[in-house]
Amino acid sequence: MAKTTEKIIETDVLVVGGGIAGCPAAYKAAEKGLKVTLVEKSKTERSGSAGQGIDHHSGTFPRGMTPAAFNEQIKGVTRYTGERGFDPNIRYILHAARDWSIAELEKMGVPMRWDDGKFMVIDVAFHGGWPVLHVHWQNVKPIMAKAVKKMGVNVLDRTMVVDLLTNKGRVVGATAINSRTGEFIIIKAKTVILATAKCARIFDSETPLPWKYKFNFHWCPASVSGDGWAMAYRAGAELASLEQSGKGSRIRDDKALSWGNFRGWGVEGKSTNWKGEEGRSGTPSGGPPSGAQRSGAPGAAPEARPAPPKTEGGVPPAPPDPNREAANSPKYNTLAHIPDDFKKRTEVAYVDERMVSMVISQERGFDFRSHYFELQEDNRPMQLHQPCGVFVGSDFQTRVKGLYAIGDTVYGVHNVALAATNGFIVGDRMPEIIKNTPEPVLDMAQVESQRQVAMASTQVKDGTNPVELEASIRYACTRYVGGQKAEGKLREGIRRLGSLKREFLPKLQGDNPHFQMRSLEVRNLMDIAELHMLASLERKESRFDHTRLDYPKQDPALDNMVIVQRLENGKPVTEFRKLPELDMNQKPDPAWC
Amino acid sequence: MAFMDENGHYESKFEYPLWTLIKKIADKKDISYSEASQEAILEYGKGIRYRDEAYYKMEVDKRNNEILAARGRPH
Repeated sequence: MAKTTEKIIETDVLVVGGGIAGCPAAYKAAEKGLKVTLVEKSKTERSGSAGQGIDHHSGTFPRGMTPAAFNEQIKGVTRYTGERGFDPNIRYILHAARDWSIAELEKMGVPMRWDDGKFMVIDVAFHGGWPVLHVHWQNVKPIMAKAVKKMGVNVLDRTMVVDLLTNKGRVVGATAINSRTGEFIIIKAKTVILATAKCARIFDSETPLPWKYKFNFHWCPASVSGDGWAMAYRAGAELASLEQSGKGSRIRDDKALSWGNFRGWGVEGKSTNWKGEEGRSGTPSGGPPSGAQRSGAPGAAPEARPAPPKTEGGVPPAPPDPNREAANSPKYNTLAHIPDDFKKRTEVAYVDERMVSMVISQERGFDFRSHYFELQEDNRPMQLHQPCGVFVGSDFQTRVKGLYAIGDTVYGVHNVALAATNGFIVGDRMPEIIKNTPEPVLDMAQVESQRQVAMASTQVKDGTNPVELEASIRYACTRYVGGQKAEGKLREGIRRLGSLKREFLPKLQGDNPHFQMRSLEVRNLMDIAELHMLASLERKESRFDHTRLDYPKQDPALDNMVIVQRLENGKPVTEFRKLPELDMNQKPDPAWC
Repeated sequence: MAFMDENGHYESKFEYPLWTLIKKIADKKDISYSEASQEAILEYGKGIRYRDEAYYKMEVDKRNNEILAARGRPH
């Protein structure tokens, strides 16, 4: 039986999630003299997408770039006219502060220069032509974890947040459990910053499983179960774009090629299908080589990216026929033909970003330098990824006062560079925010209610293993949502999910603290899966990673419209909202730019 | 370019040169592979022409031209 001794912690700033966004946020807020507590479900040294390392810090642009120039650079990429949808103001702020963020990372001890002091820069063909830092960050997380602790942050590893505490529309803290001791913890905080990444565990078993040692999804590791999204939603915040499930080729053999550097070198892999017919390569080498400028330094002016092609009426061309793509599967890629120098670079990129995966491949006898690796183009969803997340304003605050979200947790934000920058920005702002924040007052009835939720699974005998219920949720999402959605399937999926929730969620058995944590994760996955289905039902068109068989075309009336969801009176509300326009008059904060 | 062999497995075991170097450093200094990798990468990187922009451009342009020639269309 788990311990139920209470522990109450008082803090100025609570950061939930100790990854590549959470650590910079905690570090910066503590540097500014605030009392900071960081809660991490696993262990900060190797947690999150950057746990195994990172080989690229994606792009920067010239200091002082105006919104108009930024808009010109990213047009055709930023809006719901066929590709990703996000708030361009958020993107602009994050891009504008990247040079500053790089300096802050160096202060934390994260290396990114050659011996002569110049940045390690590589050309990039796919990130809009902006130069990318080639970084050797195999140990970025241990470095960050050490810096955070040295700055005086109270780090609680192996601690999972149960839910946020709120009082009269304002966040006042959170409750948590220690997944090793079962201790129930109460945290009183003036502000809370969510840094818990996306959600990668509601689809089939190819996506990360907690009980399988998979390293192919290092950018959505097995710990990513949408915890921050679910707790934000239950606290009254809004989530956006949860109909957009990321799809793509599934790499079967070698799952570990780091495409961060490789694709940026403008060298393509060779591809063949199962019939031996050569064609364009898919992952990891991606699209055709571009005329990306070889600047050699951050801040150099990039070439403008061409707008995507359009058909008449401004509607982008239909995506490839998934059935034809599937009929051509499996496809095989090889890098055997690339120059030896580039093979060595790829070895280095492996070690920088996923050394364990490299060793596993090696032990299986798979040699990327000479073998073909198999891709499956079957168009099934993999995770709720880039467009999805907590809906925030350009100050990164949610609609719950005092509750902020950063990094991959935020809708439209993804990748290491944006995440770390986001963390530094919000951490830096905390003193100003705290100054105007009243002392938090806990609602002890709410604390008690969350304690019941946290401890419920420990009271169950002969119940359901949380891993089993997770498998059922994944099955429901894969079968009734999948990559080819339709109204009938979605409605049936919602019904089945509801049935699973009513019957099995109360029966989850957590007879040790680890499975107590797993039970809480499944509770979060259940909420996210339901919202995913409802959002998929609401968007009656096909756009980006959302495909409706019954509405196969894009609806121009829904251009720049994002789906937003929140909890009202215990029921989910799903509605469309227009994306903000880029504020052309904004000036980047001089503290960062 | 090799596919799986007739037994359904890949070729006989091998070791990437960088991994060999990492293990050598780790054994010599009695440190973890993660710690050793930091030093190994810098050492191994000396043999890679990262900063030789002329070489880089030549190799990438050569590869680009091969791909374009194979596809027969302008970029």
